[in-house]
Amino acid sequence: MVHDDSVPETNKDYAIGLGRAFGGAVIFAIPLLMTMEMWWLGFSMEPGRLLLFMSINVAILIGLSYFAGFEKTFSWKEDAMDAFAAFGVGILTSTTMLALLAVITFDMTWSEIVGKVALQSVPASIGAMLGRKQLGGGQDTRAEEERKAEAGYGGELFLMLAGALFMAFNVAPTEEMILIAYQMSPWHTLALGVLSIVLLHVLVYTVGFSGQESRPEGGTFRSTFFHFTLAGYGIALLISFYVLWTFGRTEDVAPTEIANMVVVLGFPASLGAATARLVI
Amino acid sequence: MEQNRAIENENHPASGNHIPWIEWLASGLGLLMALCVFGFIGWQALHDATSPPMITVTAIETTQVTGGYRVIFEARNVGGAAAAQVRIEGAVPGSDGPEFSSVILDYIPGHSARKGGLFFTLNPQSEKFTLRAAGFAKP
Repeated sequence: MVHDDSVPETNKDYAIGLGRAFGGAVIFAIPLLMTMEMWWLGFSMEPGRLLLFMSINVAILIGLSYFAGFEKTFSWKEDAMDAFAAFGVGILTSTTMLALLAVITFDMTWSEIVGKVALQSVPASIGAMLGRKQLGGGQDTRAEEERKAEAGYGGELFLMLAGALFMAFNVAPTEEMILIAYQMSPWHTLALGVLSIVLLHVLVYTVGFSGQESRPEGGTFRSTFFHFTLAGYGIALLISFYVLWTFGRTEDVAPTEIANMVVVLGFPASLGAATARLVI
Repeated sequence: MEQNRAIENENHPASGNHIPWIEWLASGLGLLMALCVFGFIGWQALHDATSPPMITVTAIETTQVTGGYRVIFEARNVGGAAAAQVRIEGAVPGSDGPEFSSVILDYIPGHSARKGGLFFTLNPQSEKFTLRAAGFAKP
C-alpha cells in the first residue's frame, strides 16, 4: 500500500496514460457519436440543463478519478486535475470525431458546434477516465480495493450512480426509448421493473463475475437486498428521471407516461449500476 | 495498516513536487476548455436562447435544369430556439394558378441557417415568386 507513491511519475508515464485516455474516450463515446438524436439535442436542449448536466459530469469525473482514474492519484488536487484532463480529452475527442463524421462543419454557428461538442464530451470524458482502467496493463488493484473499502457504503452508492448515469445516458437520447414506453402495457412495465431488480441483485451478489462483491459481513439476504439492491434500483430510477428531464422528455407528459419511461430507462440504468462495481 | 497509512501520508507533501509538467499542461488545458464551454453555454442560457423560432427564406441561386428550374435557398432561423420539421414552400405564378413546391428540413438550430433546394417546371425568375417557411414543430 506504499505502492508507487515513492516513485515519481515521469512525463512518459503520464503521456502513456493520456494515450489510453484518448483510446477510452473514442471507444466509450462511439455509440453516442453516431446517434443523430445526440447531434440534435446538442443544439435543441435547454442551455441551463446542459450546463447542469456538464457540472454533474465534472463531479462524477472527480469521483471516478478517486476510484479508477487514468493515473494513480492520492489527493483532491490531483483528482481534480485528472478530472479536468479527462474533460479536455473528452472535448478534443468529440470535436475531432464529430468533425471527421461531418456532423460539425465550418458553416455552422458557434452555438451549434459548442452545443454538439459539449454534449458528446460527457460520455467521451467518462471514457477517458476509465480508459486507463480498461486498457491499462498494470493496474494497482490493491489500492483500488482499499479505496473502495475505505469509501464504504457511500462509495458503493456513488459507483452505482456513475454506472447508472452512463448506461442511461447511452440509450436515453433515442426515440426508441419513448416508443417502447408507449407500446408497453402496465403489466409489461411491472415485469420489466421486477426483472431490473432481480438482475441488479443477481449480477452483483450471486453470479461469479470477477470483481464481484461479497455479501457484507454478517449480512443476511434481506439486509443486502434492502441496503444495496433496492438502494441501487432507487438510484437507477432517480437517474433515469433526471436524464429524461435533462433531454426534455418529461415536458407536458402525463405522470403515468413519465413513470413508464422511467421504468423502461431504469432497466439499462440498473444494469449500469450493477456492472459499475464490476468494471471500476 | 495504520503504519502504512502513516508512510503514505509522509509521502504526500513530497509527491506534490513529482507532478510532471505534462500533467500540469493536460489538466490546465482541460480546465481552460471546461471554462470556455461552460462560459459559452452559460452565456447562451442568459441571452435569448429560448425565443421562439423565426425563419426567413432567401433564394440564393436559380438554375435551369432538365425538366424545369432548380432554386437553391437558405432558411435562416433568427430566433434563439431550434425549429424541427421546418416546411419550406415556394410558389411560382402560372397562367392556370400558381405552381407549389415544398420541402421539409429536419432541423434549423437557433441563430443558424440550413440550405435546401426546390424544383419547378415554370420559371421562378418572376417578380411574383414567393418563398417562405410554412411551419415548424418544437423539437
